[in-house]
Amino acid sequence: MFMKKEVIGPNQLLALIILFELGTAVLVPIGLESGHAVWLAILIALPGGIVLYLVFAHLYLQFPNQIISGYTRSILGPWLGWPVSLLFLPVLLYNGSRNLREAGDLLISASYDKTPILIINSIMIIAVMYILSKGIEVFARTAEIVLWIVIIMGCICIIAVISAGLVEYKNLFPLHMSDYKQALKSAYPNILIFPFGELMCFTTILPHFNKSRKIKKTGIAAIIVSACLLSFTHAIEMSVLGENLYSRTAFPMFTTITLVNMANFIQRLDALVMLTLIIGAFFKLTVYCYAAVAIANDLFKVNDTSRLVVPAGVIMLFSSFVSAQNYSEHMNDGKTFLQTILPVFCAVIPILLLLIHLVRRKFGLYR
Amino acid sequence: MNGKGLLRLIAIAVLVLPLGGCWNSRELNELAVVSGIGMDLVPETDEYRVTFQLVNPSSTSTSTSPGSGKPAVVVVSATDKTMFGALRRASKHVTRQLFFAHTQLIVLGEPLARDGINDIFDIFERSHELRLNSEILVARGSDAASVMKLLTPVESLPALGLVKKAQNTSSVWGENRPISVFDVIHGITGEGDLTINAVKINGDAEEGKKKSNLEGSETLTETVMSGLGVFRQGKLIYWMKDSEARGTEWLLNQIEETVLDIDADDKKESVAVNIIYSRTEVKTTIENGLPVFHVTIAEEGSVNETDSFVDLSKREDIMKLEQELEKKTRAEVMQAFHKGQQLESDIFNFGNELKRTNPQEWAALDGDWGRIFAEGKLDLKIKAYIRSTGMSLKPYIPEGK
Repeated sequence: MFMKKEVIGPNQLLALIILFELGTAVLVPIGLESGHAVWLAILIALPGGIVLYLVFAHLYLQFPNQIISGYTRSILGPWLGWPVSLLFLPVLLYNGSRNLREAGDLLISASYDKTPILIINSIMIIAVMYILSKGIEVFARTAEIVLWIVIIMGCICIIAVISAGLVEYKNLFPLHMSDYKQALKSAYPNILIFPFGELMCFTTILPHFNKSRKIKKTGIAAIIVSACLLSFTHAIEMSVLGENLYSRTAFPMFTTITLVNMANFIQRLDALVMLTLIIGAFFKLTVYCYAAVAIANDLFKVNDTSRLVVPAGVIMLFSSFVSAQNYSEHMNDGKTFLQTILPVFCAVIPILLLLIHLVRRKFGLYR
Repeated sequence: MNGKGLLRLIAIAVLVLPLGGCWNSRELNELAVVSGIGMDLVPETDEYRVTFQLVNPSSTSTSTSPGSGKPAVVVVSATDKTMFGALRRASKHVTRQLFFAHTQLIVLGEPLARDGINDIFDIFERSHELRLNSEILVARGSDAASVMKLLTPVESLPALGLVKKAQNTSSVWGENRPISVFDVIHGITGEGDLTINAVKINGDAEEGKKKSNLEGSETLTETVMSGLGVFRQGKLIYWMKDSEARGTEWLLNQIEETVLDIDADDKKESVAVNIIYSRTEVKTTIENGLPVFHVTIAEEGSVNETDSFVDLSKREDIMKLEQELEKKTRAEVMQAFHKGQQLESDIFNFGNELKRTNPQEWAALDGDWGRIFAEGKLDLKIKAYIRSTGMSLKPYIPEGK
């Protein structure tokens, strides 16, 4: 039935998680309520993100060969577990399509103003379908390589911004009591769920991990690194743009980079940001798409993964531009989605699963 | 999916992918690069007249050979209720689509500046082509269009020439500072008011449009940087000149380098001190409901010229000069501050700083910040140091002459 089990090494998992976390979160303004303390809010959300990841990792260690839909059925029993797992499908597909929409819209408003969104989004989704048809192992190895490209581009951008003298530390400090409160408020639950809670997708990837002893260490390292990178990037954006502009712009990283002008020579580094956007969106999309495909595979007992890749991709593509008429509507939907549905699937259900599992094991309720 | 199907998918993808790139294609020979934009108000309407300075590619060779005939830029204007409307309406005059990613300069005409500039900068944030870091100038005593039309010597692109002029004088003379659209938006959205570099036309603006203006060794019509325009609530209310303008830059911690002529014992304003370092720190406290601005300026300079006898080899004389330097700086700063208070216009960023460092006291202040600022006190501390006296110590001028 299985040809050969695809495996992912620690470095690859590390790269995948970092790219997934940075994904779109590095580009769009997150945790707006926290004002100029956004960088702090990200760091405050970090411990929560680690705890969430430990929940996922622990569940994986209990059921090393099953993805989330598998152990949901084991823990809750098939009659309750199957429908609950099924609910993950639309959530994953919709959230994936949101990433696609965001990437497409940002590309259009930043550069491709005359290109229809259908074209941009389908090009991206074709790349996703292609790499998924090659399998998760190929995808993970790609991540390992691309991570370096992203890091190098990020370094170039940050060095350019800093050496162009744009950074104003004044915009980040001082922090007053009310700022701490707001940072805490936007960290939990908003930043905890987006981007950390989204790691829920990795419950479908972890079974491919080949060194289960290292699972917690690798994951935590990746989350800490990505949180620091996110916090740093947003701090730079905030310090350059100031709170007022940061909160108004749709694409703070792009606005930041357009301000770079070093000695009238190094300027207009927009292309680097666009590349970061495309790469980040690509990895996020692919992970979402893979998660949806894996769950559908498991639930409907389809043996060949690649057969579901195209339908999943097409659904994502269409829901990406059918779901909202304009970007504002899309953002409003996103806010509601982030506050109501996503926490249930990213945090509540996994934590409940773990608790029920622990209770059942303790009292010997597994047959 | 089998191998064949996959191959088909790949083939389709490979064929389709490059096509997407052509959708937005704009070739260089179909673009008109805009180097500067001038914004004016059409008299007695609320329409904008927007003037574009377009680079004329055939005559902008790197060598500034005068023989090429045509000027390096072409200027077109269009009128509309909105900025974007005007720039698209300009298509009636231009053979190519305007391209804004290389716009270096924005000039505001005086009538527009007096009418109010608060609502014209949205397009710079919203558009992906226009840049927030374009320099901005306000035309003193003329409209923006005549500034845009003026040809400049040395630099072949007038817009670029103006930008360089502004930057040049900012870095060595200190009455101006580089101000971009980004800074202006910050000024508008922040507390308090703002200043914008002013530029003036010397001579006959009509003559300046012609290339003949550049043919003599002396350009009869030229643009000169002319201090700062003070904007209160987005409306131009005052022109700051000379020491007032420099005092403002001092309070804003924007002095990079400047020259002060200070008094010697036997001759007024005869020692030229080149300020090479200056740092201004501002702390605001509230006392009895009124702000007190504690400003500390630390400046370092070197004596670059003395036209009367000063014994620069003696420490006491140097200290005397340092005191003179402090006095002179204090006079300029006070002059600027009093002008700001008289105008009830906080152009020194004091309000923003107070709000940032002490939001509670800021919230407790009631009423209009401009008026509160006008009643505030300035507690000015200046520390001046003379670090060097150039290549010589004692001047050749004999003592007491």
